[in-house]
Amino acid sequence: MRTPSLDRRHAAPVMGVVAGCAVASLLVAAIGGTAVAQRPDPRVRAVFEVTHLPPLLRLPGERVHLSYDVHCTREGVEFPESGCDVAGTVYVRIGPRDAFRPLRLELTSVDGVPRLTASVPTDLTAARGFEYYAEIEAAGTTDRILVPAGGVDAPHKSLLLPNPTEVSLGVHAFGFVTPGARIVSAPWGDGSASVGLESGKNLSAIGASAFDVSADGTVSLLDEAHRRVLRWQSSAAGPMRVPLSIDGRMADMSLDVDGSFYVLESVARPGQTPLVRHFDSTGRDLDAVETAEGGSSQVRMGPKGPVVLQHPSHQWMPVADRGALVSPRDQKRNGRIGRPLRSGAEVVVLRRRQDILSALVSSRGVERSWRVTSGTPLAEIQLAEPIGPRFLIVVRAYSDSASEFVVLVLDRNGVVRTFSTPTDEWAEATPLGRFRIAANRLFRLGSDGRGAFVAAYDLGKS
Amino acid sequence: MISTRAFVTGLVVAISLVAASSAAAYHTRFVADNCNNAAPTPTSYITRDGSATVALRARYEGYQWAGGCWNDNDRDDSPNDPHEDAATGGAGGDCSGFTFKVWRESLSTSDAGFQQWGMLRNVHGPYTSAAFKAGTGAPNTTVSKAALIKMDALASDGHIGLIYATNPDGTDQIIEAKGEDYGTNIWTRTYRGSSSYTGVRRTGWSS
Repeated sequence: MRTPSLDRRHAAPVMGVVAGCAVASLLVAAIGGTAVAQRPDPRVRAVFEVTHLPPLLRLPGERVHLSYDVHCTREGVEFPESGCDVAGTVYVRIGPRDAFRPLRLELTSVDGVPRLTASVPTDLTAARGFEYYAEIEAAGTTDRILVPAGGVDAPHKSLLLPNPTEVSLGVHAFGFVTPGARIVSAPWGDGSASVGLESGKNLSAIGASAFDVSADGTVSLLDEAHRRVLRWQSSAAGPMRVPLSIDGRMADMSLDVDGSFYVLESVARPGQTPLVRHFDSTGRDLDAVETAEGGSSQVRMGPKGPVVLQHPSHQWMPVADRGALVSPRDQKRNGRIGRPLRSGAEVVVLRRRQDILSALVSSRGVERSWRVTSGTPLAEIQLAEPIGPRFLIVVRAYSDSASEFVVLVLDRNGVVRTFSTPTDEWAEATPLGRFRIAANRLFRLGSDGRGAFVAAYDLGKS
Repeated sequence: MISTRAFVTGLVVAISLVAASSAAAYHTRFVADNCNNAAPTPTSYITRDGSATVALRARYEGYQWAGGCWNDNDRDDSPNDPHEDAATGGAGGDCSGFTFKVWRESLSTSDAGFQQWGMLRNVHGPYTSAAFKAGTGAPNTTVSKAALIKMDALASDGHIGLIYATNPDGTDQIIEAKGEDYGTNIWTRTYRGSSSYTGVRRTGWSS
């Protein structure tokens, strides 16, 4: 009886399959090492988080109560109401030359949330400004949270606005909007001049997540779904495509004067924080740095390089300084409450329940400030920026069924000009990336069911 | 020469087959291997802080379309799942399943009571984001957006997220199961001012 055997012609593929299976298994095990290592860990982890809304700006005579919401549950405890004992101290001083004064935080509960609070003494609130940071501890553990993260090196500041220019908007009349002149547009799709929507047929649409405009009027639109920037130069008929090595999810973007640009991603790898990536004008990867904190909402250009608004500290932190990357630790140590402008001045904004406070701050202190009140609820401040001797604020007015952006051109006497724009947010973009100023024009990123576009508004002589 | 070509062809085919089968299996194992159908624990004392804790334990977990099971290991155990496929069986909830568990609601829409669900209990609940937006169900009601506070929600026809904190610029920090590519985390959002979104509140909290 003849034993079945492989002839030479069939042996090679069979051996190939066998070898392939072995090699492939090894490859999958190696590449999927994280998957193997990702066996679920059923251990219930500790929760210890603090949120704080800093009173960055205040009016004369206002009392200041600092409050910190604390969420704390011990490791291994599944019942979420069990909580843990927390305590804290806030350290307050008038300025850098003074010693910090400790104030013990008192524990209360507001709306079912443990809250640590302290009232700032009136001698401090009467000063032009004071600064503070808090240390909050979970009792019986070594767990400690600094708020803001830079602690004594980068405390929060609260600036007094002695005489802000008052602006009253009254009740907003919805429906009277200026759409602006569409200077560029790109249809949704996968074509060379199209902009992509992120994957997900039933989720809310996300696409064209950020844009910026250079001084010469060139518009750059971040097409994150296609991992590229579409760039419209005023002389060109269609957009130039600049491929980028980004992760393809919602991101913010800011242009530097040398044509390079920074992209702030919104999703990080496990155990890491989101990256700021730096590209040259052709899209070549230059470098990347992790942000100090997990929640970052904007990247903008400061006097020495890019700065990122990071949460939960609510501070603008430098991520590069004259071309050198700044480590996460040093980002925290250099956090500032105001957005540093290229001019060296800073803009500080605070939306409160009853008003919006905004200040232009120099090394000498508050230079100019405005208080905006409205009979209609105001949501986010999309933009606050000086424009020549004037100051521009773009804020969203909203009701339960309507929403528009209100543009305010302000000077020391009040409103120079105001108009409203539609929100045009068919697709979701990065939260504070809707507006830019360049060459005395205001630019707005919008979208509808057909595609994304940028509209422009001439702000006139400043 | 022929043998070498055949060997290489076989190798490529085998690698493809093994990789494909491995990937397919990987994307369907989390729920099957780890999740359960345990009954919830009815409870009468429920605070917004407790719900924030439930939500924070789901932070950094994945996203699973129509899902609701996670393990608090701060990573997506089933990354790169196909989008919006309920059969992928991955780690995490979707936006409405996440909200249902964080608000500790009942499978019965007529029951406003509180039910404590285990993290590994695979449950989505009866509400879509559009149903939450409409205030559907005994525990849920719509609220003016200007009046929303911590652990209230903002819901649209396609998404829902929970308010975790407010930022100085008037944006909100929203804790949400955002999508397969995003997972579950806290992000700065402008949902409050968007006319697509409605304010929704879970009622019956202990103070």
